Amino acid sequence: MEFWGDREETNVTGWDLLLQGFVNSLSLVNLLACFIGALIGTIVGVLPGLGPTATMALMLPFTLRYGPETGLIMMAGVWFGSQYGGSTTSILVNIPGEAASVVTCIDGYQMAKKGRAGAALAVVAMGSFIAGTAGIIGLQFFAPILGGAALKFGPPEYLAFMIFAFVLLSNLSGDSPMKGFLMIGLGLFISSIGINPLDSYPRFTFGSNKLMLGIEFLPIAMGFFGISEILVIALETYAPPLIEKLRLRELYPNRDEMRRSIGPTWRGSVLGFFCGLLPGPCTVISTFISWSLEKRLSKTPEEFGKGAVEGVVGPESANNSAVMGSMIPLLTLGIPFAAPSAVMLAGLRMHNVEPGPLLFSTRPDIFWTFVAAMYIGNFMLLVLNLPLVGFFGRIATIRPQILMPFISVICLVGVYSFRNSIFDVWVMIFAGVIGYILRKWKFPIAPLIIGVVLGPMTENSVRQTLMMFKGNMGLIVDRPIAVTFLSLAAAYIVYKILSFCLSKKTQE
Amino acid sequence: MPKGSIFKPELIFIFLLMLLGLVIMIVSIGYGFGSFRRPGPGLYPFFVALIIITSSIILLAVGLKSKGSEPLFNRRTLNIFLMMFVTFILWIIAMPFLGYVLVTFAATYCFCKVMRLEGWMKPLALSAGTALFIYLLFDYWLYIDLPRGILG
Repeated sequence: MEFWGDREETNVTGWDLLLQGFVNSLSLVNLLACFIGALIGTIVGVLPGLGPTATMALMLPFTLRYGPETGLIMMAGVWFGSQYGGSTTSILVNIPGEAASVVTCIDGYQMAKKGRAGAALAVVAMGSFIAGTAGIIGLQFFAPILGGAALKFGPPEYLAFMIFAFVLLSNLSGDSPMKGFLMIGLGLFISSIGINPLDSYPRFTFGSNKLMLGIEFLPIAMGFFGISEILVIALETYAPPLIEKLRLRELYPNRDEMRRSIGPTWRGSVLGFFCGLLPGPCTVISTFISWSLEKRLSKTPEEFGKGAVEGVVGPESANNSAVMGSMIPLLTLGIPFAAPSAVMLAGLRMHNVEPGPLLFSTRPDIFWTFVAAMYIGNFMLLVLNLPLVGFFGRIATIRPQILMPFISVICLVGVYSFRNSIFDVWVMIFAGVIGYILRKWKFPIAPLIIGVVLGPMTENSVRQTLMMFKGNMGLIVDRPIAVTFLSLAAAYIVYKILSFCLSKKTQE
Repeated sequence: MPKGSIFKPELIFIFLLMLLGLVIMIVSIGYGFGSFRRPGPGLYPFFVALIIITSSIILLAVGLKSKGSEPLFNRRTLNIFLMMFVTFILWIIAMPFLGYVLVTFAATYCFCKVMRLEGWMKPLALSAGTALFIYLLFDYWLYIDLPRGILG
């Protein structure tokens, strides 16, 4: 059907495309993908340890059997679902299921101790649903506009934008910006192994035929996120959590709790969406900012930390909205700002789909089916999370001794099955051991993975820019967009240096 | 760990990364830079090596002044780590010969015991369940042809 063709020729509006997206996403396979992704995501969010990135990497080989939109829907469902599920253990057992739910522990667990666990879970589910929907609306409206604007991007603009993204990424994660830079460097190096497509020159292969094709993203991602997490969990001493008992009638928040949740939900939605546009662990950052903002705006800030409903619903709304915000740079520029979106980009590339400004004209079906499926997925998550909260609470008590052996062999067979390659399994185990070391010494892994994904694009931009400018990089001043990004990156570095010097002086 | 000691494990790790950066730099020089008008295959990895070396040197300088980092292992965790690692390696070596179902069953059992899942009934049930699940998932649902080994 030529429905997805040139919009100017066919007079097709965005609403028509969205409607067709709904028709596509209501196909059995897409609905199932959405449901499975949302369910697995919620379970992963509930279970402390295994994060959404590792799970998404783990699911990559399984998505290859279906279309790119189906894979994208399933992986976004995992990410979205993990944000919902993460709050359950934070509220019930004071253990964050994943990083973006750490803040929820502060007030969520205090609410549970006061006997308001059910109400906390209910307002969080409602807030997450509203914020998720707001995020999808934002994605639906902003992504095509930004995609159109991104058509003006040439190699110099892409290069400048990636430099800006790398600077922010290295500063926002880990305990030292230099560790972030080191990880980006390693990621860029890994991506340069193999035959360079620009001049067919083999690099860093050391005569090995296996390395000629380069190192696949999947074993790297599964190793750094999956195996390293398994090792960390296996080596920890396990303390069984105590779960609050819940009855369904306790799920109803009272009128005061409802009234106090409205403002934080909307503020969290807007804040989270814009946090999602920034490089780094956007979902985590959005929760911290939202909690601080709610405390500052509250008439009773002394209640924060003692079970304030605003401190639960605001951050949880923000992290759901941030997921959708972070889809914008991925879909409009083809640049992932967070580790889960890097996995999504790798997944789309495995389907020979290159996200970016041309996606909206060449493959609008992928974008609009994805948007429609996210509306459906968000509703599914609401329906799943409220009645099944007791079930998810019990899942949190599954011991790692049962879960980790199962996940370990899924990783092994999953990576092998991708190309029937034992070499890939070796790469995964090696990456897993290195990943364990990096985690223990607080080296951020997300910049490394993003470096691996963006490496080829960075090299293309560097070489094309040099050729365009005939070797004179000074000509970049004639490109206002590129200059803006480079100035922002420079300003951020100066700001970080100044704030570091000031804090040192204050300490003295 | 004494303050200022250069034998902190984390510093040795960073030093090794710096050496890796140096190797990348030397090898990329061999690939040829070309010119800025027409960059060669070695130019980009050279800049990548610069990022790795510069950040490693700064981290080494900062690390020398700071106190020691958390040790990677103690005796208990080192044992678990090594046994997990050996199980992974044995899976890789044995899988092409014995087939994925048998090896998955054995590896799951080993992982259960390494992670101290008590008794033999629970590990056995979990191993059998996992092997069956993987067989159904890969063989029946995904139609992926994996080595069947002696069960083939």
